[in-house]
Amino acid sequence: MLHRRLPVRRPAKALLAATAAIALFATAACSSGGSGSNSSDSGGSQKTIHLALGQDVDTLLPMDSNVGDNIGVLDVVFDGLVRYDPKTTKPYNYVAQSIETTDNKVWTIKIKKDLTFSNGEPVDAASFARSWNYSAYGPNAMANNYYFERIDGYDAMQGETDDDGNVTVKPKAKELSGVKVVDDLTLQVTLTAPFAGFSTMLGYTGFFPAAKACIDDIKACSKKPIGNGPFKIDNWNQGVELTASKRKDYKLPEVPNYDKIDWKEYAGSSSWPDFQAGDLDLGAPPPEQWQQANNDPDLSSRKVTKETADLTYLGFPLYRKNRPWDNIEFRKAISMAIDRQKIIDTVVPSQSVPATSWVAPTIPGGKAGTCEWCKYDPAAAKAALQKAGGWPSGKVLNIYLGKDDTNEAYFKAIGDQLALNLGIKYKLIPSEDFFAERSARKFDGAYRNNWFPDYPLNENFLAPVYSSGDPKNGNTNFGYYDADFEKAIKEGDQAPDIDSAIAKYQEAEHVLAKDFPTIPLDFSNSVTFYSERVDNIVINPFSGATELRQLKYVG
Amino acid sequence: MVSYVVRRVLLGLLTVFLVLLLLHLLTTLAIQLNGNPALAFFGDHVPSASQLHAVEVRYGLDDPCYDQPGNPCLRPFWERLAQYAHGDFGTDLQGRPLTELIAQAVPNTLRLFVIVTITWLIIGMMLGSVAARFRGRPIDHSIRLTSVLIDAFPVFVMLVVYRFIFTVPLTTWARRTFGSDSVPALLFKPSYSDSHPWLTLIVPGLLLGLTGCAPFLRLVRAAQLENYNAEHVRTARSKGLSNAHVTGYHIVRNSSVPVVTAVGFVFADALSGAVITEGVMNIRGMGNLLWQSVQKSDVSVVIGVVTILSVVTIGVMLLVDLAYAALDPRIRYD
Repeated sequence: MLHRRLPVRRPAKALLAATAAIALFATAACSSGGSGSNSSDSGGSQKTIHLALGQDVDTLLPMDSNVGDNIGVLDVVFDGLVRYDPKTTKPYNYVAQSIETTDNKVWTIKIKKDLTFSNGEPVDAASFARSWNYSAYGPNAMANNYYFERIDGYDAMQGETDDDGNVTVKPKAKELSGVKVVDDLTLQVTLTAPFAGFSTMLGYTGFFPAAKACIDDIKACSKKPIGNGPFKIDNWNQGVELTASKRKDYKLPEVPNYDKIDWKEYAGSSSWPDFQAGDLDLGAPPPEQWQQANNDPDLSSRKVTKETADLTYLGFPLYRKNRPWDNIEFRKAISMAIDRQKIIDTVVPSQSVPATSWVAPTIPGGKAGTCEWCKYDPAAAKAALQKAGGWPSGKVLNIYLGKDDTNEAYFKAIGDQLALNLGIKYKLIPSEDFFAERSARKFDGAYRNNWFPDYPLNENFLAPVYSSGDPKNGNTNFGYYDADFEKAIKEGDQAPDIDSAIAKYQEAEHVLAKDFPTIPLDFSNSVTFYSERVDNIVINPFSGATELRQLKYVG
Repeated sequence: MVSYVVRRVLLGLLTVFLVLLLLHLLTTLAIQLNGNPALAFFGDHVPSASQLHAVEVRYGLDDPCYDQPGNPCLRPFWERLAQYAHGDFGTDLQGRPLTELIAQAVPNTLRLFVIVTITWLIIGMMLGSVAARFRGRPIDHSIRLTSVLIDAFPVFVMLVVYRFIFTVPLTTWARRTFGSDSVPALLFKPSYSDSHPWLTLIVPGLLLGLTGCAPFLRLVRAAQLENYNAEHVRTARSKGLSNAHVTGYHIVRNSSVPVVTAVGFVFADALSGAVITEGVMNIRGMGNLLWQSVQKSDVSVVIGVVTILSVVTIGVMLLVDLAYAALDPRIRYD
């Protein structure tokens, strides 16, 4: 509360007010949450990296972390059974000694010996089972719950609800029947159906192990997780600062050369001035400062750009019949009328590249150019539109998307190109309720979609997005169904090894290319500027994040 | 006097209740129209009904009234009131108790407000008094012109310009000249630092205080001018008392009543300005907490924080009214 000090009158009231003000001053100063104690940052013997973290990071529990910032922190605090090669994104065994299967349905995972969590507990088969069961159990409402859909026994752990959301059937099981701890270091996983990409999934944050002490006190663990990785969390002053330091008892080889990491939390992209002032080691400018940062010769010499697997694409409600977009020629016309490069250069310069495929070229199985009609050709577009029967004059094409300034500008540019090249009038409809409306199939027009893969495999761009197994209704978001597509996916799932699986999944992508249900637009770039104190910035092409274990402190 | 205070407190409680009810209705409608934040939890993946239900339970939004637009959802409202009566202010979406969040945020906002108040007093009172004293002279005109200029500048413009244009060159210069841990370097640090809470808050607090001091300044001037020509002042002067004594003893105190009123108004204004200041300068205070929770549709935190801010505002208004009685013996309440 405010205390107003009366300026000149000396009587008791004023003095009292003054004393109160001073007391307030003193208590506020003393009660400062000064646990962020890196006031002496001269390096000394402790090499410290200073990074920015989003202020809305609200948990560090791997079972509940599915957002970039959380995942980035957990990548140094935990080790997964497999890790992904920073350049090719191919998985390799890390905590796992071996992962074997004969039929892609039953997987035997052997874990390396003598690995421990930072609290001394062993990293064994039980620690993985414990974490996976916690995530898969429906009532825990963990963000990574759906990753366990493919494992036997998942459905029994969800229970059922009626349309009003009332629980009609409680979950029958608290553990995945398909996960068996054979012995201390051996885990046997049985899937509901063969899936060749299962071992690829195991590097994801949702599959990290959990110590018993973590499950016993989940709340404390969300704040200060007990990990098995090279760094342990020292302290988290939530909303302000997160610090981690290197473990002395860490046995595996992937350890960076610095000793401490200090994450300061910022709202949105407001960390840029701190990076410019030299307080942070990695940073990216907000859109307004983009040009200035790129024109600065010193800064742009310390910049790394990498194309990521983040796809933006245009969808159509194929579940509605008798619409212009039912006809493939119409969709081709739309795709060829869009000058993707020009839109990127105008709205989000250097921040994206045009997409020519449904799968990101940067991950295993992805290849640029699978989309034949993703090139800009206004004449061919007009011809295709003609072939499709034209666009009824006066009719307006609705374009739906979520509320976001940059996306709205981007799709306005797309709409303008359609109007210019095809004479189609459009109306942009941004909505807060975008996700709900899309799954409720409320759209009557084109809509923006975005896909960020869960694991680096081309299958993840295909099956979760387009597969349904429902010939009558097609998949929820698009109403798409093609028996050849489903067949190729199934054959890939059952393929004897990962390379033949990838080849089969590529066939599925070719079916998509033939059917052309959606229009790929662009893949995002990840751009990072770095300070003079660090080197060897490697951006992971799958996550778009800087690989902290590759980062070198050069002081 | 006591019955007056009691009446005001009861009225204050009624106001808080109405604020709570209004907030509840607004946030409920927002959830019903904008979509349950539980759905946003899943992003691009389509959840099954039971997965969605589990998340709704976790967020405290599982009452079916949230699916019916227009339903006032009174049952959750009474539940929340009962909780507040027991001192349980709920948790945020991640299960952290609200009291913990507020305990962390309040010291930062308080520090900011102390600096803002000092800025008001020094700049507002001093310049206003000077302008009144030298009325009609050049200094009066320049002070009034400056106050109009400051008034025209929105606080977020000042802050953003300061942060994105001035801080980086100023900090680099200060670090080079004085050393990286020196006072000038910390004064111009681009964002708030928890290890130097006061130093890094001085400039943001100054800027926030500047925007509020313009109306203050003019009010002080106007109130004092009224008194300069008053009879008791002429009497005092004719008794031979010095100018300084007359100004300090008779004029300032008697012109305080409208000024204290201004404190009440400007306080509410500064509270909203604090949201912006804290957002731009990355200070983890009450305003920032409120802003973040609105963006996340974190209903518990929004209602909890706004309730506390309303209680504080009502308290300040009450103190302002009581201050009248203290300042002017002619004002008495019964």
